[in-house]
Amino acid sequence: MDFLLLIQMFFAALSAVVLYTFIGFIPGTDETSVLMPISLALILSGADPMIVLTFFVAAFITLNLTNLMPTALVGLPGGVLSAPMIDHAIYLKNKGKSAVTVKKMAAGALIGTVISIPVSFLLANLLIPFAEAIQPYASLLFVIGAVFLSLISKHKLLSLISIIPLAILFQSLRHLYWSTGVVPEGTNITTSFFLGITIGPLIISLLQLLNKESQSKVLTESYKKIVIPKDLGKEKTLNPFKILSRKELKAASFSSLISNIFFVLSPVGLILLFGETVSNRIKDPDEKATTTITTMSALAQSTYISGIIIPLVALGIPLSPTSIGPGSALFNAPPVYTVENNLFHILSTGEKAIAIILGAVVASVLSYVIINKYAGKISTFVLEKIPHEAILGLFISFILLLSYMDAGLINIFGVLLIGITSGTLNKMGVNYGIQFMTLYAAPYIVQLLTSL
Amino acid sequence: MEEKKQYIEIWGDVVEIHDLVRSIVISAISTMGLYFLAPSGNRTLQLFFGLAGASIGFIISGLLTKPKRIIDSEDTKHHHTG
Repeated sequence: MDFLLLIQMFFAALSAVVLYTFIGFIPGTDETSVLMPISLALILSGADPMIVLTFFVAAFITLNLTNLMPTALVGLPGGVLSAPMIDHAIYLKNKGKSAVTVKKMAAGALIGTVISIPVSFLLANLLIPFAEAIQPYASLLFVIGAVFLSLISKHKLLSLISIIPLAILFQSLRHLYWSTGVVPEGTNITTSFFLGITIGPLIISLLQLLNKESQSKVLTESYKKIVIPKDLGKEKTLNPFKILSRKELKAASFSSLISNIFFVLSPVGLILLFGETVSNRIKDPDEKATTTITTMSALAQSTYISGIIIPLVALGIPLSPTSIGPGSALFNAPPVYTVENNLFHILSTGEKAIAIILGAVVASVLSYVIINKYAGKISTFVLEKIPHEAILGLFISFILLLSYMDAGLINIFGVLLIGITSGTLNKMGVNYGIQFMTLYAAPYIVQLLTSL
Repeated sequence: MEEKKQYIEIWGDVVEIHDLVRSIVISAISTMGLYFLAPSGNRTLQLFFGLAGASIGFIISGLLTKPKRIIDSEDTKHHHTG
């Protein structure tokens, strides 16, 4: 192992921590939209695969923790994963317990990380023998994945019905681009379509503003009132075993462990499932809220870690919502990585372990200390200085850029079409996971439909 | 003539419509503008120029726009109501 490479990996992790600490504190930043474009940029820049993996792991571990901060401090979800804990966080905030909440979140996230990394590697190794047998059926597996995610979702029939029309939408755009010569035949545009799905709900909300009737529904008279607790630094201890009660420690550890087995399910779904199960078993309202928060923070890390590690070490195809979503660039970033030649194929298991562990350790230690010491200060800075308008502008420009790069001007409108469709379906109740799976399953679905 | 301010709640936070439109226009122009300045044919540089443009747009619209939040810093101990 090259010492110089290790140093570079360390600095990659460090820059991920700095960057995603700030991004995480911004309320409402979707994990996928902030993780994917930047990891894609790093990959396309030709960075060493080890650096890419270290950066990515450090990025999502930092982001998953810092995303919890707006939730605890101001009652706004930092990202998708923190949405389920908003009620519990607001309850604790109203009781004046934000300082304790922040510490418990950080400690919970740490527990989730420490447990999930070895367990995920263990599970991946158990899966390797089966993985070789299933790999030739990758395209079929995406179809099964979309159906499976529909069946376990809240709106089963609606989700099932939406799969084929969505697949046709993706394929018809691809075929349009081939037939007009915008991209060479066989090039499957994925990145911008993928972001179109992610940003769909935002596009719908923005377009609705152009309708005066629906605009009046979201009009408000006043600014957003936000109260940031001041005395966050009271508790000095950094020892997670002192911050957490035995009950919290047990609930967080056990949930993390079990959640790793369900790596094919969506992280936010697992957080709700396990978090609410824990919550329902506790009577005392304060204990209920703190234990749920701790457990959900641990789950935010554990679901992402198993969702990335298991497909990356055992499968080689992005079969979990995390790998098909935020981590998609690790598996497919043409022309550097393709489904047949990505990080799974390029790195050995030992190399993957080194990169993952290095990224995880740097991110966990640094973000744990940063959160415990400066959560209040960073939060105040972000909320006072960063307007929501600028964040929305940033998202729109990401979409414009990646759409144009994928297939020129026409694709900006193609992605708009996807955004409108996906956003509408999303608001009706078809979740992201199903739509992402369908994007990958689309070529097979259309081929199957036309050959019947 | 007094300009009428229209605040709307979108994605969990409050924005003003004119500020929002201005931010989107600034970010779009700076992102695509820098993208086209990059040497054509070099996908990596194009992406980097574009992302740099997006960051510049973000900073400019961040400086031009006032966040629509009233921030109150409070002592948590006054809140212990039980």
